[in-house]
Amino acid sequence: MAGSGSGNPNMASGEATKLRAAHLPEAQLSEQLRAVRDNLVGAFDGMDVIGFRGELTLVCPPEVVLKVLQHCRDDAALSCEMLVDLSGVHWPAGQREEVAEETTGWPRYEFGEQAGRIELDYMVRSLRHNHAFRIRTMLPDDDPRMPTATGIYRSAEIMEREVFDFFGVDFDGHPDLRRILMPEEWEGYPHRKDYPLGGVEVQYVGATVPPPDQRSY
Amino acid sequence: MSDQQQVAPDRPAQDDDADLTTEQTREERAVAAASGAAVAPHTYTVASGEWEDLPDAVEDDLMVINMGPQHPSTHGVLRMVLTLDGETVVDNKPVIGYLHTGIEKNLEYRPWVQGVTFVTRMDYLSPLFNELGYCLAVEKLLGIADEVPERASAIRVIMTELNRVASHLVWLATGGLELGSTSAMIYGFRERETVLDILEYVTGLRMNHAYIRPGGVVQDLPPEFAERVDTLVSELYDRIDEFEDLLTGNPIWVERNKGVAVLTAEQCLDLGVTGPVLRATGLAHDLRKTAPYCGIDQYDFDVVVADTADAFGRYLVRINEMRQSLRIVTQAVAQLPSGPVMVADKKVAWPAQLALGPDGIGNSPEYISKIMGQSMEALIHHFKLVTEGFAVPEGQVYTAVESPRGELGYQVTSNGTNKPYRVRVRDPSFVHIGALADLTNGLLIPDVIAGVASLDPVMGGVDR
Amino acid sequence: MGLEARLPDGILLTTVEKVVNWGRAGSLFPATFGLACCAIEMMSTGAAHYDLARFGMEVWRGSPRQADLMIIAGRVSQKMAPVIRNLYDQMPEPKWVISMGVCASSGGMFNNYAIVQGVDHIIPVDMYVPGCPPRPEMLLDGIVKLHAKIKREQFVERPRKGESMEEFRRRTGWPTAEDVELEGWAAHQPTRKSGESTVAAGTGAGRTSGRRAGGESI
Repeated sequence: MAGSGSGNPNMASGEATKLRAAHLPEAQLSEQLRAVRDNLVGAFDGMDVIGFRGELTLVCPPEVVLKVLQHCRDDAALSCEMLVDLSGVHWPAGQREEVAEETTGWPRYEFGEQAGRIELDYMVRSLRHNHAFRIRTMLPDDDPRMPTATGIYRSAEIMEREVFDFFGVDFDGHPDLRRILMPEEWEGYPHRKDYPLGGVEVQYVGATVPPPDQRSY
Repeated sequence: MSDQQQVAPDRPAQDDDADLTTEQTREERAVAAASGAAVAPHTYTVASGEWEDLPDAVEDDLMVINMGPQHPSTHGVLRMVLTLDGETVVDNKPVIGYLHTGIEKNLEYRPWVQGVTFVTRMDYLSPLFNELGYCLAVEKLLGIADEVPERASAIRVIMTELNRVASHLVWLATGGLELGSTSAMIYGFRERETVLDILEYVTGLRMNHAYIRPGGVVQDLPPEFAERVDTLVSELYDRIDEFEDLLTGNPIWVERNKGVAVLTAEQCLDLGVTGPVLRATGLAHDLRKTAPYCGIDQYDFDVVVADTADAFGRYLVRINEMRQSLRIVTQAVAQLPSGPVMVADKKVAWPAQLALGPDGIGNSPEYISKIMGQSMEALIHHFKLVTEGFAVPEGQVYTAVESPRGELGYQVTSNGTNKPYRVRVRDPSFVHIGALADLTNGLLIPDVIAGVASLDPVMGGVDR
Repeated sequence: MGLEARLPDGILLTTVEKVVNWGRAGSLFPATFGLACCAIEMMSTGAAHYDLARFGMEVWRGSPRQADLMIIAGRVSQKMAPVIRNLYDQMPEPKWVISMGVCASSGGMFNNYAIVQGVDHIIPVDMYVPGCPPRPEMLLDGIVKLHAKIKREQFVERPRKGESMEEFRRRTGWPTAEDVELEGWAAHQPTRKSGESTVAAGTGAGRTSGRRAGGESI
C-alpha cells in the first residue's frame, strides 16, 4: 500500500518521494510558492521538492537544514520571520501489517521501510509576503542528531525540547536540552512507533476490553 | 575577647555589635586561633551610614522560588521556577507537562472521525477550534476541501466565533480574578453561560462538543437558532460595554497592566508568538485574513491591533476582538445559505442523523428505521463507516486556524490507512510558554501574574 | 451481649456529632485544584449562575493547609501524581476528596501511558462524579450527596436506626460476642479486617475518627 514505486507524488516515505523540481506537478502550487521553490532550489543543491494539496515541502539532508533556515530568514524574497512549527514523525524500519480480523471485508494494510528514520519538519512562515512552507529532513532513528536552530529562531528552543522528549533527537548546541512534557526521569521516547500506548485493560461485568493498541478492531 | 584583639591589632576600639564580619572571616579566625597564627581578617566596620554603601557580605543573593503547579493564579498547572533578585524576576524557567495526556499518540490508534473527540479536549477553552483545525487538515488530505457544503462552513464560522467570545470571557474572568477583581470573574462566567446555552442548544454539550467532523458538521442547526443568536448578540454587546466600564478606565486595572510584560514585535516573531499578543505589538497578522478558512473572508470584520506591546494592549485587543466576533456571527447568521451540512461523498460523510428524543439526543428514529427495516445496504454502510471509518490518502498537510490564543496548527501525516499515522498539534500556548522568560524578565512577582494572565496560556493545549 | 458495643454515653455523643457534622458539611472550604476541562466547569459552578456560595463553599482556599475539600477536576498525569499526593497530605483532617469527571475517576477516555487511571490510585476518594465534563448541576449533586455523607458520620460506631446488629457488624467489623472467645475487656476490642477502618486507628485514609468504616456507600 505505502510501499515504494507507486509514483504517487504525495508520499512522505520510501525512495519514490524524491522528485526533481522539473517533474513537479505545477498545478498544485501557487505562483508565490513556485517562486519560493525556485529560490531555494537555486540556492542549495540536493533539495527535493514535494508539492501536495497546494503546500510546498523541500526535502534536504540534515547538514544543510540550518543554512536553509538561515537563508529563509535573511533572504529578502523569502523573509520568513517566524518558525511556526517543528515536528517529528517516526518511520520505523521493517515490515508492518495492520489487519482487523473482527469483521470480514476489512482491508489489510501493509507498509514498511528499509531503514528506520525520524522525519523532522520545520514549518516557516513569512508575514511580509504571506507564504508558508516546510523544510523536511530525515535522520536515522538509531542515533538522531541535529544541530540546534535556536540561533536562528528562538521558538525552536521549546520545540526542540519537545522533539527530544518524544523522539530522542539530540540537538547539538541547545541551551537546555531536557525533557519538557514527560517527567525528567522518564525512560523511553513516547511518540516513537516502538513505544507502546501503555493503556490498561478495562474490566466490565463478564468481559474485559483490551487497551486501544491491542484491539483487533 | 582576647582572640579578636590578637587577630586585629590595628582596629580601633568599637562596640562589638558594630563589627560586621563575614562567615569566612569567622572561620579563618577560628582556624587562626586554633593554629595560633595571626591572620588578617576581612572586617567591615560600620560606624554610621547607609545599608547600600555596605558591600554585600554575600555575593550571590538571588533566590530561587517555585511558583506552582498548584497555585491559584497560574493558569492551570503551570510551574514557574523564578530566580529572584529581591522581588524582581531575573530568570524564569517554566516547567510544564503536568497535564500531558498523550493525545497525539492516542490519535494514532483510533479511526479518523474518533480523533475529533480526542482533539477537542486539548485546548479546553476553545474546543471547536481544535476540532476545526483537525477537520480542515483531514479534509485537505482527503481532497474534499472544496466539497464541504457552504452551509457547513458558515455554521463552522458561527460556532467558532461564538467559541472565541466564550474563551475571551474566561480569559477576562480569570485574569480579573488573578488581579483581584472578583466582579470580573462573576461577570465573565455569567456571560459565558449565555454563550454556552447557545452552544448547548446546537451541539448538545456545553464543552468538548465533537460537533465539527471531517466533511462538515454533525447535525444541522435547530429551528429557533437565528432568534436566539440575535438576542444573545445584542445582550453581549451591552455586557462587553459593561466590562469596559468596569475595567478600562479603572486606575487599578490600568496600573497593573500598563507597561507590564512588554514583548516587542521582533521578540514575538522570533519566539513564534501569534494571536492577540502579536497584534498588541502593532502587527496586524490574523490568519482569518491572511490565510482564510471556511469562507470567513466573505464577512466584513477588522483585525484589532494595539500599539503598546504590554498587558493593557492585549486586554484592549481581546475586548475588541469579542466585538468583531459578534459582528461576524451576525453577518454569518444573516447570510446563512441553505443546503446540506455534510459533504455529499457517502464514503466520508457521517451517516447518522441525530435528533432530540424523550431521553436526550440520539439517532433519529427515521434513520434507525431506515437502516434497520428498509435498507440492508444502508445498514452495512453505516456499520462500516462508523466502526472502521474511511481511509485517507497518504501525505502530510499543515492547516492552521486562528484560535483565541494564536495560530493553532495541525501537521497531519497519513499513510493511507483508516487511522492517522501522526497528528502533531502546534498549539499556540505551548509556543508562548517558551516566551515566558522574555515576558517576565525584570518584573515584580505580581506583574508576573499579570503577564502570564495577559498571555492567556491554556495548559491543556500546552501539554496536550 | 451487643449492648457493650453501644457506649453508655451514646446519646450525648449523638447531639455533638450532629452539630459537628452539620458544621463541617455546611462550610466546606474547597482547595483550588482544577487541572483541565473539568476545572472550567468547576469554576462555572462557583460562579453566579450555579452558585456554590449557597452551600457555604464560595471561599476557595489557595493553600491546601486551609482547605477541607479537594475537588480533583481533570485528568491526572503521571507527572502530576506526586504533586497531588503531596497536596493531599498537606491538608489537615478532616478532609474529603471529590473526584470530578471520568478522567479523575478512572482515567476517562485516555487509556495510555501518560494518565493515571483514576486518582484513587493515589488518594482516597469520597465521591465520584462522572461526566466529561460533568455539568455544574451534576457536580452540585455530588457535593450535596457528599454533604449527606458527612452528616452521617459517627465519632464512635454504633448501630444506626433500624440497623440490626448483624448489619452493623458487617459494616464496621466489630465482632459479635459469638465470634470472639475472649473475656472481659478483651471481648469488646474490635478485630480489624483488612481495608476497614475502626474507631481507634486510621488506615489508608489516615483518618483518626470513625468515619468511612468499611463498605459504606450511598
